[in-house]
Amino acid sequence: MNREIQSILLILIGTATLRISLGDIFLRYVKPAMQPYLIISGAILLILGIWALVDVVRTAPPKAKEALQGDPDSSDTDTDHGHSHGLSYMAWMLVLPVVAILVVAPPALGAFSAGRNNATVTAKADGIYSALPPGDPVDVGVTSFASRAIWDDGKTLDGREVAMTGFVTPNPDGGWWLTRLSMSCCAADALVTKVQVLDPPAEAADTWVRVVGTWTPGGGTKDDRAIPLVKASSVQQIQAPKNTYE
Amino acid sequence: MTQQRIEQPTEPQAGQRWRPGALEIFVVVMVVIVIFREQISSLLSGAAIGAATTIFVSIVVQALPFLVLGVALSAVIATYVPASFWQRALPKRQSLAVPVAGAAGAILPGCECASVPVASGLMSRGVAPAAALTFLLAAPAINPIVVISTLVAFPGQPEFALARFVASLSAAVIVGWIWLRIGKSDWIKIPNRPHLAGASRFETFRNNVAHDFLHAGGFLVLGALAAAALNVVVPPTIMDSVAGSAILSILAMAALAVILCLCSEADAFVAASFTSFSPTSKLVFLVVGPMVDLKLIALQGGTFGRKFTTRFAPLTFVVAISAAVIAGTVLL
Repeated sequence: MNREIQSILLILIGTATLRISLGDIFLRYVKPAMQPYLIISGAILLILGIWALVDVVRTAPPKAKEALQGDPDSSDTDTDHGHSHGLSYMAWMLVLPVVAILVVAPPALGAFSAGRNNATVTAKADGIYSALPPGDPVDVGVTSFASRAIWDDGKTLDGREVAMTGFVTPNPDGGWWLTRLSMSCCAADALVTKVQVLDPPAEAADTWVRVVGTWTPGGGTKDDRAIPLVKASSVQQIQAPKNTYE
Repeated sequence: MTQQRIEQPTEPQAGQRWRPGALEIFVVVMVVIVIFREQISSLLSGAAIGAATTIFVSIVVQALPFLVLGVALSAVIATYVPASFWQRALPKRQSLAVPVAGAAGAILPGCECASVPVASGLMSRGVAPAAALTFLLAAPAINPIVVISTLVAFPGQPEFALARFVASLSAAVIVGWIWLRIGKSDWIKIPNRPHLAGASRFETFRNNVAHDFLHAGGFLVLGALAAAALNVVVPPTIMDSVAGSAILSILAMAALAVILCLCSEADAFVAASFTSFSPTSKLVFLVVGPMVDLKLIALQGGTFGRKFTTRFAPLTFVVAISAAVIAGTVLL
């Protein structure tokens, strides 16, 4: 792989990284906290690429003084062979994420992944579930709702009207789950939370909805594979949020 | 361009008879991609392929800043830190240098993608391969961020974080000692950091970062591709069928750690989600993952050569499982 292509690949990777991290697209793949690191590394790669391209253009006529030599500072310890600077064909693989990002920009994970994986609801670390803020309906996250229902016997949900947003994952046994994914680093480690909506209107998979309803016992408790139930009083289609992960 | 001719003697020299070179092919490929972008997009938008593409991009995007950090640190080590520093910092006896390097892994707060280039930078500066490899294995598993995330993922069970720390550090040190005894120098391709005569230190640094990033990045992409494909092909429910058997569940969790290629700062949350599995098999997942996974195998193979990775990865896999099983039996 020659120096021109090396520099162009760096420019492309840097551009693709900046392209997703300067807007909201990166939220489909990683946590919001990654944004500054992505911008910095994208900028570094872009600058390195432009700089290397300038080098290539400047040094177009071959110069003898560019011959490879070992690091003069450590000629006593280095075992230089002078061959490893050539890049293998493997660097071409970097074209794939560039194409995937700039051409396809795949969507956040949705019903396909949620349908394949078991729902997992973890207990809150301290086990203390404070009362929901006043006012009905009260906005609650799907994961918070499920954790309260399963690990606190729904005490803080009983008698309250809640509003939750999530996407639709068809339940093979009928109806659909109001679903939310949560990630700790990137989409590859996303965990699924599902809430079964009782007597829901038909909705297509991956539709984003706002469900207003009340918690109904019967989904099981103290079991992180349990799927809590919500009796919906209204289901409203909405735009997908910027960050689809909770 | 002199440089290029030295590296790749088979490539036609510029200025001779015109033939389509790599650059021309590259431009044509990019133009074709731009023309057919609609078709490519729709081809990759099926449910399974779409999810695989998302996971592929996610793994690459998530690893990218860590890889940049790793190659930058590695270039700093190779360019600015004199070799004599490491001779003073590490014990002369290599069998002592191994545990010291392992413990030093606690200070690199990064994922496994950062530790591979750093280890290669250390080796190019004369650090014994066994010590650098111990550092490579220990760093992603025992750094403070990983310990804290493990504590958070297993609320009320601090023994999990302790067992992970102990098992990971001992596995790393044991692999280092074994490598010291049986490792042969021709198994490992120690990347040298070539230096253009007349180039300033900074120019050398800059070229090293660019070169190492492209090189390691290509292998990272290969690993991410394999992980994304397997993630969609292997049905997750297959795991539930082996949860009941002690031995099968340990092997299945070890294999899953290799396939999923999770970041070591996130894997504890995924491990915690396998509720039907024994604590020991979860620990195996946490110890194996940061040391052996598809993207690491690809990265290590790219950095140190295939001869290296075909020996090092299986050795590490076996030692990591054993250390985790022993630590799990004693501590969990």
